Amino acid sequence: MANAGNEVVFKKETVAKLLTRSFKEDKTKVSSDAVILVAEMLKVFVEEATRRAVKQADSEDCDTVDIEHFEKILPQLLLDF
Amino acid sequence: MDEDEAQKQRLKAAVHYTVSRLCQDIAADCEKQITKQTIAAIAETAFRQCDIFAKDLEAFARHAKRHTVTVDDVKLTARRTTALYNYIQQKSEELALNNQELKEKRKKNAAKRKSKDMEAEEENELEG
Repeated sequence: MANAGNEVVFKKETVAKLLTRSFKEDKTKVSSDAVILVAEMLKVFVEEATRRAVKQADSEDCDTVDIEHFEKILPQLLLDF
Repeated sequence: MDEDEAQKQRLKAAVHYTVSRLCQDIAADCEKQITKQTIAAIAETAFRQCDIFAKDLEAFARHAKRHTVTVDDVKLTARRTTALYNYIQQKSEELALNNQELKEKRKKNAAKRKSKDMEAEEENELEG
């Protein structure tokens, strides 16, 4: 990709903190490669959510993606991840 | 407890920032407007989804009798969606390849340093 340099991704530190926060045991740690992969997975999740919401808005002939469009695609999105 | 809440808010803000950039990019790409509330809702969903990921990852690691979450655990989390699984698999292979290259570079550098040190020592001996 041409814009690989400024590609939007979640920060590694943010993801690492998010994960360690949710662990039930304090002992659990995360390897740095795993953090990168989780960041990638979250990005795919957000992109998929947005694209589906945009598609829903498009099918209703709306130029603005509103929360109701996102609400309609949310159940299937959560089933797919 | 208050500090915990503060950290949660900061993390949410960080997630919101990245999500809003991703959303704006896609919306511009599809020539659509996207409301702030929608972006906030997507950010909140991503935040909670991350919580689910974390609990799954911890359970998988513990099942493997490990205390560290590895790449394999992340692959297991993505197993149900074939396209996502393939994508994650490909990314993990890229990561493994990168790590190998880094290791080799480090080895080469270490070897170079060693030979330089030897040369310096020899020179010192000659001068002496």
